[in-house]
Amino acid sequence: MNNDYYSSTYMPSIIKWGKITMLLGIVTCFLPAIIISFVYGYVPPFYAILAGTISQISVSGAFYVVEPISYFPILGIPGTYLTFLSGNTSNMRIPCASVAQEAAGVEMGTEKGSIISTIGIAMSILINIAILTVGAVAGSAILSVLPEGVKSALNFLLPALYGAVFGQFAVARPKLGAIAVIIAFGMNYLQKNGFLSFLPGNASYAVTLVAVFGSIFMARVLYKKELADD
Amino acid sequence: MNESVNYLDLANSPLMWLGAAVAVGIVVFQSVLFFRKSLVAAKEAGISQEQINSAIKSSAISSIGPAVVILVTMISLIVSMGAPVSWMRLSFIGSVNYEAMAAGFGAQAMGTSLENLDPTSFACGVWVMICGSLGWLIFTFLFTDKMDKVNHLMSRGNAKMVPLISAGAMLGAFANLGSGSFFNAENQFAFGGAPAIATIIGCGLMMFLTKTAKDKNIGWLREWAFAISMFTGMFCGHLWNTLL
Repeated sequence: MNNDYYSSTYMPSIIKWGKITMLLGIVTCFLPAIIISFVYGYVPPFYAILAGTISQISVSGAFYVVEPISYFPILGIPGTYLTFLSGNTSNMRIPCASVAQEAAGVEMGTEKGSIISTIGIAMSILINIAILTVGAVAGSAILSVLPEGVKSALNFLLPALYGAVFGQFAVARPKLGAIAVIIAFGMNYLQKNGFLSFLPGNASYAVTLVAVFGSIFMARVLYKKELADD
Repeated sequence: MNESVNYLDLANSPLMWLGAAVAVGIVVFQSVLFFRKSLVAAKEAGISQEQINSAIKSSAISSIGPAVVILVTMISLIVSMGAPVSWMRLSFIGSVNYEAMAAGFGAQAMGTSLENLDPTSFACGVWVMICGSLGWLIFTFLFTDKMDKVNHLMSRGNAKMVPLISAGAMLGAFANLGSGSFFNAENQFAFGGAPAIATIIGCGLMMFLTKTAKDKNIGWLREWAFAISMFTGMFCGHLWNTLL
């Protein structure tokens, strides 16, 4: 057993390979677009790509920054590299990270927690890709096999997933859970009813920021005593 | 260029599959690499083989439900964007809402819609999907290794604060994600809708099962609690929706 391994060997190598793979990802994700335009010869006008991209940035631009920062306390360095290359953050990566840590009995945010959550996230990515690959090749044949009832039931999987992840953490800290609900529901109410319209763009980025960092701040206030002990 | 070509023949061509496969290959490579490095680090940190197995098993079990949802929505994207691009995008910084929106913006910029694509507007949709998601990749490429500073700043050097920060972030993030089910069409609070029932049952059952597994030290329940809660919540939401 080596106490230094995590910080002196594991982390530097994760950061090195994290950067290399992100860079490779940035380059290779252009391949399909390059093939259509420069092999098949269908080059859309530059202004159209620019206009479409600007529309998209106006919707998700703030999230390029808000999401990695908000989820960092949960994912850690290795998890952040994995999650933002593969996507499906809130519906798959984070639930799998937290479930793996719960099952292994390690605490989130610690070194052991970070190692176990990386194992959990990597596993979920491989399963995700395996299932999607089968689906993409088999295509719509799969959809026609699924009964109509199952398809409509699947609409309720994500709401149940959000509840279950919340429940996993609320059971250990119910007071903090209640406060998080009040903050998140309140912010969403304000945003949906136009009270945040003084902010530029669609203000949902502000809702995410206040929900996450407001809850962290309240955790600090609520558990001040616990923190001050010994 | 000949615009009468069916763009879906191009979109589903072997060359497009190859291009998409290289990109997906990077994601697989990264996952396998990090997985193996973490196994070594786990041994060094004194994590037992049982703990590792249990983490792998629970993550695999919990992945299947969401992966099927992604699959179903991917198929709706295949209809307009073809299989290789849809497959790549959902294995790669994707989420279905984002992809359909981005492709739609691309088509819109060409003066058309996803239902009426020609090869050039299809190409524009693909370019926009990719350019619009670069922000996440570039930001994480540049700043991930520096984000530890944010954590240090919040914990102010108190190690006990770190798990609390994670718990606060989790509860805040998922209260926010779940809140959408608790509003009606008029943007007022509504607690009786079917998605709200799914969320409440998923949450309540998970709290009960997590506590039971911990108190009575039931190993298999720790691994299955999440999947059981998720599917029960889904089933109750569906039932509520069908019966009312």
